[in-house]
Amino acid sequence: MATLNKQAQKKIWAFLALGTFVGLLLLPLFLSLPAGASGGAPAPAASTAPPTAQPADAKPVEKSRDIWYKTEGPVVGAPAPKTVDGPKDYPRYNFESRVLLWVANQQHLYYGSFVLAVPIFCMVIEYMGIITKDKALARKYDQLAYDFIKISLTAYSLTAILGGILVFTYLTLYPTFFGYLASIFRPVMHTYALLFVAESGTLYIYYYGWDRMREGFLKWVHVSMSVVLNVIGTVLMMLANSWIAFMQSPAGVDDQGRYLGNIWHVIHTTLWNPINVHRLIGNMAFGGGVVAAYAAYRFLTAKTDEERAHYDWMGYVAMFIGVCFLIPLPFAGYWLMREVYAYRQQMGITLMGGLLAWLFIIQAVMIGSLFLTTNYYLWQGLERMRGAERYQKYIKYMVFVLITCFIVWLTPHTMVMTPGELKAMGGQQHPVLGNYGVMSAKNGAINTIITTTVLSFIMYQRGNKVPTVKWASKGNAFLFGLFTVAYINIIGLAIYGYYIPANVRVGLSVPQVATTLSCLFIGVLLNSIMLKGAKELGPTVWGQISVRSQYALIMLATAFTWMMGLMGYIRSSVRLFWHVNEIMRDNSPWAFTHTIGFAANMISFNVLFFWITILFVFWLGSLGIKKAPAAAPVGQKVPVPAGSH
Amino acid sequence: MADQESQVSTGTKVAFTIGSLILATIYFTALDYALMNMQGLDFFYLFRK
Repeated sequence: MATLNKQAQKKIWAFLALGTFVGLLLLPLFLSLPAGASGGAPAPAASTAPPTAQPADAKPVEKSRDIWYKTEGPVVGAPAPKTVDGPKDYPRYNFESRVLLWVANQQHLYYGSFVLAVPIFCMVIEYMGIITKDKALARKYDQLAYDFIKISLTAYSLTAILGGILVFTYLTLYPTFFGYLASIFRPVMHTYALLFVAESGTLYIYYYGWDRMREGFLKWVHVSMSVVLNVIGTVLMMLANSWIAFMQSPAGVDDQGRYLGNIWHVIHTTLWNPINVHRLIGNMAFGGGVVAAYAAYRFLTAKTDEERAHYDWMGYVAMFIGVCFLIPLPFAGYWLMREVYAYRQQMGITLMGGLLAWLFIIQAVMIGSLFLTTNYYLWQGLERMRGAERYQKYIKYMVFVLITCFIVWLTPHTMVMTPGELKAMGGQQHPVLGNYGVMSAKNGAINTIITTTVLSFIMYQRGNKVPTVKWASKGNAFLFGLFTVAYINIIGLAIYGYYIPANVRVGLSVPQVATTLSCLFIGVLLNSIMLKGAKELGPTVWGQISVRSQYALIMLATAFTWMMGLMGYIRSSVRLFWHVNEIMRDNSPWAFTHTIGFAANMISFNVLFFWITILFVFWLGSLGIKKAPAAAPVGQKVPVPAGSH
Repeated sequence: MADQESQVSTGTKVAFTIGSLILATIYFTALDYALMNMQGLDFFYLFRK
């Protein structure tokens, strides 16, 4: 009876705790609603009141037109300041202020992305642990989720510290600009701060309550807390995105930059949602990469086979999640770019066909290397399975296809040349290689790379298994037909593109992408169904994998980090000499676009700095380990993500 | 049951493969046509001009 009472008490406390979190989550929204509509200033009631109600000397409320929404609204803010180069608007050290801000921004973003992504993994894995009927598997999932959140906890403190550094950097080096931004986003910034408090509280209780809320109903409450945590995290990200989206495609202000009282217009600019989607997916891929690198680090430093087995499995799961989000990432990027073109065509041209176009070539190299590394890791993973040797002979052909496509993918359209070189080559385009520098070839190349990666994954799924379903022959024949015709279709469309005008050719990318996605969804789904109840040729021996595979995971994470830095720089520098595009001009001495070499060095510095500090975080995490992780004994079956073998 | 695939004759396998190739060709051609049409573009542009 006493136990029952204790349990009932626990339930009540759990409900109260959850209710508090939900309340904290909703509180800022309630607070922001009345203030938000007017930007914190008294509502301009005079505009609706009859003229007779006004004092004789009262000024009429000035109205102006929204620069983007084209709606009329009362002017409640000051015009965007016209800055001048000097200590008032741009106080500085004897150093380029923009570079300092760049580092502070990028580091905060890296850590912010990481701590946003990892709790999402935690939520999914902990939930999988709850619904799994096998107790041993459930414990392993639970341990994995706990490992994930433990890493993000230290990173969370660092994110907050870096956020503080970022705000101080803005305040001390760009006070006028930051003041203008804060005057518009005041309610959003307060909401952000309150949500941050709510997130911190939820995260700490989620982490420290793990053991106490391990069983039964309390476990459900615990996993519900992770949902609350992730909702807060995602809203935080979206609010922060509204600031950068406003800087790039302002709305809610008139052509002088005066705030018109509608906070939703200021938040919901035309690029806000594409940035939200792109960042969320990108963060997930990045988070997967960093956790995979952590697992690789722990694998490489492991002392026992049990530890190696656990961290091998952890690395695989993290890599799997990362790649799942890597595949849709280019499509989200495509949407963002399309919206940029729709907003300002010139901005799109500056990005992809002008000043910043060469950075996209570097991006292509990074994307290619990400896929190459993913394939390499999957091939190395075949070593874990007995019976997978039968697939080794196909790898060399896949390497050939991937490398060929990679070379086409990174071929530039034009080169920067001296007049002599230009004359020797007979023009800006090389007579042979120039043919591979066009989008027709590149679309074919990248889709072939992704389709081959899907094929590698299907091969990996089958590693040690032979399908035993009655329709296995038909299924295999269908998979063969699907991939063969898909390759022909992708390459055929790429060649077809050379013979038709540009306005028709541009549409071919859509069926090419659809072909790749067909292989991904139909191929992987069909293969997974075929492998249900399949005959195993041997066990999957976790931990029995080459050291090279772990370096591949580290490479994957580093490439994600570098690409994130690069794309962030591209998106930010496309504003050119504007703080807020076409509203507030950047009159500092640094309102120019850096050379590619300088930008690349800065990105590399940021990547290096992040990895050194995150290694410190990993090391701190390892100090807290008192016992060995839930062992995945060598040779024993360990849970893998749905769809895997 | 252990190895269903080995019990199927080579002739049947070839027939399945040819059938799959035809099926996949129809699927991808229809996909190409439909997606180009959706964008207001003519997939068979080259052959009509």
